[in-house]
Amino acid sequence: MNGLKKEAMRVEKSPFEIYKTAELHNPSLIVGWQTRDIGQLGYRVIDFLNEKLGGQEIAEIKPLGFFPFGGVRFKDDLVQVPESKFWACERNNLLIFRSDEPEFEDYKFLNSILDFAEDHYQAKELYTLSGTISLIAHTHPRRILTVFNQPELKEMLQGYGLVEMSWEGPPAISSYLLWVARRRGIPGVSLWPEIPFYLATREDPLAIKLTLSFLNRRFNTGLDLGGFDLEIRGQNEKIAQLRRGNAEINKYISLLESGFRLDEEEQLKLAEEIHELLGKGD
Amino acid sequence: MGIKLYREPRLEKPIMFVGWPGIGNIGIIAMNTLRGILKAEELGEIESWDFFYPRKVSVRDGLLEDLDFPSNKFYYQRLEQKDLIFFIGEEQPTEGGRMYARGEKAYQMANLVLDVGLKLGCQRVYTSGACVSLIHHQMKPRVCAVTSSEELIKEVKKYQNTILMSETGERRGGEGTITGLNGLLLAVAKKRGVESICLMGEIPDWLSGASFPYPKAARSVLEVFAMILGVGIDLTFLNKMEGQIEEIIESICAKFPPEMKEEYDRRKFIPQTKPGTITIQAQIYIDERFKKGGDEGGEKPI
Repeated sequence: MNGLKKEAMRVEKSPFEIYKTAELHNPSLIVGWQTRDIGQLGYRVIDFLNEKLGGQEIAEIKPLGFFPFGGVRFKDDLVQVPESKFWACERNNLLIFRSDEPEFEDYKFLNSILDFAEDHYQAKELYTLSGTISLIAHTHPRRILTVFNQPELKEMLQGYGLVEMSWEGPPAISSYLLWVARRRGIPGVSLWPEIPFYLATREDPLAIKLTLSFLNRRFNTGLDLGGFDLEIRGQNEKIAQLRRGNAEINKYISLLESGFRLDEEEQLKLAEEIHELLGKGD
Repeated sequence: MGIKLYREPRLEKPIMFVGWPGIGNIGIIAMNTLRGILKAEELGEIESWDFFYPRKVSVRDGLLEDLDFPSNKFYYQRLEQKDLIFFIGEEQPTEGGRMYARGEKAYQMANLVLDVGLKLGCQRVYTSGACVSLIHHQMKPRVCAVTSSEELIKEVKKYQNTILMSETGERRGGEGTITGLNGLLLAVAKKRGVESICLMGEIPDWLSGASFPYPKAARSVLEVFAMILGVGIDLTFLNKMEGQIEEIIESICAKFPPEMKEEYDRRKFIPQTKPGTITIQAQIYIDERFKKGGDEGGEKPI
């Protein structure tokens, strides 16, 4: 009886709610965030992977202790509940995690992600997904800037067209996770696809497609990304129409296309116009 | 939640000096200065990641070099008559964007500091901070004390330029709160049977929200520490910082309306016990002058 009680207490203290056990063997762990998700990159990439690769929801990290519960957030009239979920794509041996960024106990939370991935499935490597704001025009080709936590993985991913990042400043949660993974001996890479600043609050299908192209190649997933071409064309056409009717916006984008920088006021004006444009239905 | 000790020196009933940043950074300046002058050696640290989000990431040529966290370090020094331990925390662990530590994390941090102190035989701990007072900035700040026992009250009464908080005349019934870890540590120490004393340098009320330090009060606290330890401390290096801050304060005062300035200058001659209009109005002046901006975090390519 005592043993049972102890077991029950131990289970209760687990930070995980496990729905089912998946058939994964040393999978790669892919992590995206839905807080401060620039260009909706993390959300869309993971959504696409789960949909096309048959990702099954297998577990979540319980929110208590990591998120505030003094009330409830809402956005666009909808109640927002913090989510931290794991999916398994068994066919491709991928463990996928998407979450809101924790507000408390970041270190414990990040370790919980890796605890689950290691203890249950012996995950072999980590990929984090986050967009990075760039002062490029939307017509400019995107690059994936990268940060590795081990030189060996950097070496291994030569030839994928990734661009090495150099940066000193406040770390985003992906970098923190990469650091925690290094402490635990898990090789990892953070992917930072460039996103034009004026698409940051909407979606950037070109950056999403580029990221998926990398994952497609890396994991041989055979995904058909043709649908994104339509999205890209549609978005480009909308912006082209705006440029035709608005000389000021056309000037700002043309300056960016020629490699010039906009001042703060011009950047703001362009970002506001595009945000409004892309918020309208077709 | 870890403590990492690089060495475990044999110390004879060491006194512990503990400091975190706070109002005017008075306590942390005093503790850091004392530690530097006495050439205390690094002893260990409290691992930061359980308490703080990293401040900086360094990435070079696509490789993550390191994350930089606020440090929480222990130091020690053996003097002829007393052994000393120092703990200096670069930041207070906060929850919910507050300025000073509170809640579970603060309690855990205070206990970890005490764990090390007790392990090394510590029986007394000093913290320091600011005492927000109705003084004029040209006056020499006094040191206000709070202790964990009646015996210690008798002792601090002998300290130079030091008064008990109940003697400041500004707090009804001698009651008040020492916010943040410089205060909380006193409670945790008392609970765990360690004598504790907090020595707070006076800072003019209207400067309590300023973004610059107030070294003049740190000097007063340091003078008391020097007396307690029976050591001579050369504080001439503080003159430059004090001079620079004095200039800033004088330039703000010069912009006070005449009647406000007159009211404020009266503080030099008449000790006040109740805040007047000066407090709020002067705070507005200082807020406008030292408005702080902030950037969102996140990686960007260099």
